[in-house]
Amino acid sequence: MNSLSVQIPATDSAGQQPAWLRELKHDGAEQFRASGLPTRKDEAWKYTPLGALRLDDVRMAAGESAAGRTAMADPFAAAGLRVDLLSGRVLEINGEMPAGVSVVPLHEALAGASADLRSLLESLPASGSAHAFTALNTATLERGVLIRVGAGGDAGRILLNYSSAAAETPSLFNTRICILLGAGAGLELVEQYQSAKGSDDTGNVVMQAVLDEGACLSHVRLQQEPGSAGLITRTEISQGADSEYSYYGFDLGGGFVRHDLHSTLAGAGASAHFNGAYLVDGNRLVDNHVKVDHAAPGCVSEQVFRGVAGGGGKAVFNTAVCVHPGADGTEALQSNANILLSARAEIDAKPEFEIYADEVVASHGATVGQLDEQAVFYLRSRGLNEDEARQLLITAFCRSVSDRLTDPAMAEAISARLLEAQPRQ
Amino acid sequence: MLTIRNLHARVDGKEILKGLDLEVKGGEVHAIMGPNGAGKSTLGNVLAGREGYEVTQGEVIFKGRNLLEMEPEERACEGVFLAFQYPVEIPGVNNTYFLRAALNAQRKYRGEDILDSAGFLRLVRDKLKILQIGDELLRRAVNEGFSGGEKKRNEIFQMAVLEPQLAILDETDSGLDIDALKTVASGVNSLRSPDRAMILVTHYQRLLDYIVPDKVHVLANGRLVATGGAELALKLEDQGYAWLDDGGIAPLGADQQEQVASP
Repeated sequence: MNSLSVQIPATDSAGQQPAWLRELKHDGAEQFRASGLPTRKDEAWKYTPLGALRLDDVRMAAGESAAGRTAMADPFAAAGLRVDLLSGRVLEINGEMPAGVSVVPLHEALAGASADLRSLLESLPASGSAHAFTALNTATLERGVLIRVGAGGDAGRILLNYSSAAAETPSLFNTRICILLGAGAGLELVEQYQSAKGSDDTGNVVMQAVLDEGACLSHVRLQQEPGSAGLITRTEISQGADSEYSYYGFDLGGGFVRHDLHSTLAGAGASAHFNGAYLVDGNRLVDNHVKVDHAAPGCVSEQVFRGVAGGGGKAVFNTAVCVHPGADGTEALQSNANILLSARAEIDAKPEFEIYADEVVASHGATVGQLDEQAVFYLRSRGLNEDEARQLLITAFCRSVSDRLTDPAMAEAISARLLEAQPRQ
Repeated sequence: MLTIRNLHARVDGKEILKGLDLEVKGGEVHAIMGPNGAGKSTLGNVLAGREGYEVTQGEVIFKGRNLLEMEPEERACEGVFLAFQYPVEIPGVNNTYFLRAALNAQRKYRGEDILDSAGFLRLVRDKLKILQIGDELLRRAVNEGFSGGEKKRNEIFQMAVLEPQLAILDETDSGLDIDALKTVASGVNSLRSPDRAMILVTHYQRLLDYIVPDKVHVLANGRLVATGGAELALKLEDQGYAWLDDGGIAPLGADQQEQVASP
């Protein structure tokens, strides 16, 4: 049982807050106090004990200065706009803003909040212990970014670079990323998580995106946190008719990583593609929970996840697809394959389907196996040593995810990271 | 180049090779024929170092060194190549990438420069032609979705690129139609050289119409029971393997007879 007593800090922005925002944050704080942190009795946290996170000696991140900033290489040289965040706080926004695109730190956006931002923030469910981290995030709304792309606009690539410095006391930071895409708008969002070596902070990052009719969001997440760091993220996507969301997530690091990824296909003809790879070893834990609500007819969702666990590493992959009444002609595909490299490693894979509509095409497959020893021998018989052979096979296994990226340069860059992040047996 | 003495090997606790002796010199092509279950594939796997094949007696000396003490990759780097009877499919690993990694691992072992991808492509271009392999096959994942013939051609293509000193071809002819067989055979023939030895393991004589061996051995019940020239294969084609059970081979003509051991 976790006994986290969080002192929710007074706002660190100077400006006056509108009443609705004060109320929203107050409600978040109340919800968090009422629910407490999730325990293993919560079905959604059954395999993911928060004890591993050592939250009891965590304090809420206060106002770090830019001095703690770490130098980060930009892995994607072709990035357009680049937003650097330290402990969730926007430090810098660099690059040229394309027409019809605005990227502003959240605290500025909150000061003059528009109706659509307000309704976005108010729309996020945060009650119950399963959503305790969301409630906490709402209670401390301040840090983060608002990205807005007007109807028909194309933002190109925007890179969000998250880091946190190594400090004496581990802290928990909250940040909120809000994305509003107008009709037919396009955005390629790249998130990179790479904190300083030895950082034992925990990020609590909530992303909310609304895709209006025909909008297109490509979302790449490259997570290479040090094994000492924690990361809890929730991604909430709301999709209008004919909109398209594509997720490519690579969890290569982090000591305790939980990602709740949820899309609501609310308009006819929308599609959501979730692709992910996760590599764990040591005592690291990565938990991906994907949920898709098919709430309109003729929508497509597809999930392709690959995981590799070595050492005493643990990975959880839970997927739930709900096809609501009236969502006829739905197509929902799930594929999850995992490789265990050691007897101590653990993988919990659980697919769920609920179908209340007609003419639904649904398929799922979840496998947990071992590396193909025939293939290892084949490679060794050609001159590769055993480590090289295993690395090549593991990378190839994960490449079935990275090769789905539409940009070959990025696919190449990420597959190089996959090779570097090889889990130890 | 290769000396095998009194080789005994077990698979799953069952003795398969029961005292096999074989001497192969540089430049020679030996065919090993025999009925199913005689131990033909076991010999290839033991030489390549596959796990699960336990040598209980005997020795294998390759270029003056004890081959059995080496890891599979060390054997490969020393110049041993096994063309698999059932080449393994490796989804996600591009054929070119795989072969370049293998070649560079071997070059590194020998203290040679690592080839970049341009250098590698120059090297493979000619070899592709010999085996009638298109560029397209190079770009595909290793053996994934390849037809039986493509897989076997890919094995010989790998052999052409890796240039081993001792190649063991395990049933390379099985599952090939006549055209594919000719292509594979001409690829193998183009690789014959005075400093390269080959062991062809095969059930049928057909392959030996196209690759004429220097010596033919009959493997039965874990031992070589007969050795002769290329004509021995024709006799096997004519008489089958049934005579092995009768305890002896029908008399060969004096000009054909080199050595006949009783089983």
